[in-house]
Amino acid sequence: MIESQRHSYHLVDPSPWPISGSLGALATTVGGVMYMHPFQGGATLLSLGLIFLLYTMFVWWRDVLRESTLEGHHTKVVQLGPRYGSIPFIVSEVMFLFAFFRASSHSSLAPTVEIGGIWPPKGIGVLDPREIPFLNTPILLSSGAAVTWAHHAILAGKEKRAVYALVATVSLALVFTGFQGMEYYQAPFTISDSIYGSTFFLATGFHGFHVIIGTLFLIVCGIRQYLGHLTKEHHVGFEAAAWYWHFVDVVRLFPFVSIYWWGGI
Amino acid sequence: MAEVELKTAPADFRFPTTNQTRHCFTRYIEFHRCLAAKGEESGECEKFARYYRSLCPGEWVDKWNEQRENGSFPGPL
Repeated sequence: MIESQRHSYHLVDPSPWPISGSLGALATTVGGVMYMHPFQGGATLLSLGLIFLLYTMFVWWRDVLRESTLEGHHTKVVQLGPRYGSIPFIVSEVMFLFAFFRASSHSSLAPTVEIGGIWPPKGIGVLDPREIPFLNTPILLSSGAAVTWAHHAILAGKEKRAVYALVATVSLALVFTGFQGMEYYQAPFTISDSIYGSTFFLATGFHGFHVIIGTLFLIVCGIRQYLGHLTKEHHVGFEAAAWYWHFVDVVRLFPFVSIYWWGGI
Repeated sequence: MAEVELKTAPADFRFPTTNQTRHCFTRYIEFHRCLAAKGEESGECEKFARYYRSLCPGEWVDKWNEQRENGSFPGPL
């Protein structure tokens, strides 16, 4: 097939993964609704759907890696697809998180009469922004610096060094998540404690969830770098992970400044 | 027979909008802060009571009085 091809575009083979992913998503949604309402078998359908979805993600991405890394279908022009695609994806993620920060600002800038017109509301013992939050912010920013180190190592063809740099990036990410978990565990308020708890855990929780996604993305990059998949000229997967990581990194500054710091004193 | 003078709270430039919820709440708080600072005998606090009574719905005042009694009033008293 490659021999007769007179263009540099990747014409994909038929694949079962789109339909299997759709069925997994359908089972997850229906199972989720059944689980949250009085239906029998909701938990089973939800778990099956999630397993199906995770399986599809694994095999679909495995196929993409085979086509790109092993079969060489991802030419320069094909690489533009995932590159341009990841930009609107990250922009949509920024808008998603912006909604939660806006909700938090809306509730705290002019606190309603129902919570006494004060922020934080009466009885909420806030976290000291100079403790875990002020430690975790530079940890995440350092992780962002480490991923740049990995990028430079890949560009310079230093394969081993790139693996070390990615191990450093992921380690800092795990320390961040660990501290964040500790903070949640020790927090004197919960998500059901007034609008303060709701906005606090919604914003920081979804940010933390994105940190976990970015960490998994970077772990995959680290494994692929170790296996020699990434080269000086071709490492789109790594670049997408790095962009995603910088997004997670920059977004951390908003909860730190406006929720922990401004909203906590 | 003496004439009954009817008047509402004066315009307050801290609360320029149509929605006077916060105005009512602030006057309620000012009344109770005044009582705490000067005592009932001073007679200086009555004006705040008149203001909040003309601005606030009765149910709100009942609810806040109840909250003050059981210590769950959320405002800065």
